[in-house]
Amino acid sequence: MVELVLSGRTDAFEPLVTPYRKLLLTLAYRLSRNTEEAKEISQETLLRAFRYLRSFDRKRSFKNWLLQIEMNVWRSLATKAPDEATLRQMANNSAPEEPEGSLDQKEAREKLLSCLEELSPREREVFLLRDIEGRSVKEAAEILRLSGIAVRVHLSKAREKVRELIKDRFPELLENRG
Amino acid sequence: MNCSRVRRSLPLLAGKDLPAGKARRVEKHLEKCPGCRQKIEEIRATLAGVRAIADRTSLDWPEADWRRLMARVKSESPKPRLRPLLLPGLARRSWAYAAATVLVLSTGILVLRIVRPRSTSAMLEETATSTPAQPGRALGREQALLAFSPLDRPFRVYADRKSPKQVMLAAGPVPGKPAQEMMSMTLVSQKTGLQVHWTWNRNFEWEEKKK
Repeated sequence: MVELVLSGRTDAFEPLVTPYRKLLLTLAYRLSRNTEEAKEISQETLLRAFRYLRSFDRKRSFKNWLLQIEMNVWRSLATKAPDEATLRQMANNSAPEEPEGSLDQKEAREKLLSCLEELSPREREVFLLRDIEGRSVKEAAEILRLSGIAVRVHLSKAREKVRELIKDRFPELLENRG
Repeated sequence: MNCSRVRRSLPLLAGKDLPAGKARRVEKHLEKCPGCRQKIEEIRATLAGVRAIADRTSLDWPEADWRRLMARVKSESPKPRLRPLLLPGLARRSWAYAAATVLVLSTGILVLRIVRPRSTSAMLEETATSTPAQPGRALGREQALLAFSPLDRPFRVYADRKSPKQVMLAAGPVPGKPAQEMMSMTLVSQKTGLQVHWTWNRNFEWEEKKK
């Protein structure tokens, strides 16, 4: 499929990336906690993937390559993030397709994501990839271009912080499930 | 393993991300430590809760936005592969360039050593004049105090003129003094204050091993 796109069949790009459209948008949302920003991140990810498709190493996983681009896009946007209040306003006004689930589930999800905001960017990335997306440590290391040891160190800190934050702020999140 | 060390590993053990050997050691500790068991249960419950919440979270593109994005992508064209500016293929052969650099540097150092042997020997001719350290644990204090004197210059570092690369360390008798029989070295950690004493006899045999 990659070869087809590179040979000039640009219409082959859509079937190439369609299996990952939800994954990219959801991960971007979990990173940014803002639907508009999530769309912006995913859009930039797909544009960059298309532009730099020739640089894709065929021995690597295409999905991991996309996730790596998305992490880079998020990091570059996060460093020049404008005004959070403006972004929230945009998110509220645009009424995008919300994640499925009841009000309780949405509330629980928002509480969880608010805890993740307390983590450092690296800890958040590692925690999302390993504990929410279910990637292995090795895959997370490949996506983030880190060593396995570095991933474990960030992961350990992130889990400990999340445990403390949930215990202090939203103990009901665990009680309901206990 | 003590509790504080075990607790540092619990977040990884809870997610089954600890290497097998270490995991076994931590689990062994958990069998007899209720405090650590409770801690890992808390972490496991947190992770299970997080995963349960996250599992139901899934976003998708509004179809119109997706169509617009794909149309925009198709209007672009893939860029050519990025190549090194100076030499094509440099990145692929980087290991060879690194090896060549190491080889050139080590040859240079070797040549410098051969060309300037006298200065090296002169440097090695210097006599070690360090003050003897505190006596080591392996020695009786009185015995050690008798053996050392701050005025002693017990060991001499010199290079053989015939083979300048070979460094000799000799326990030579100082005129008017008995031959030095022992030497000790003390390493002190600046952070923790931990002191490590090493003691050798004149043949550089570690005294503590013998006892």
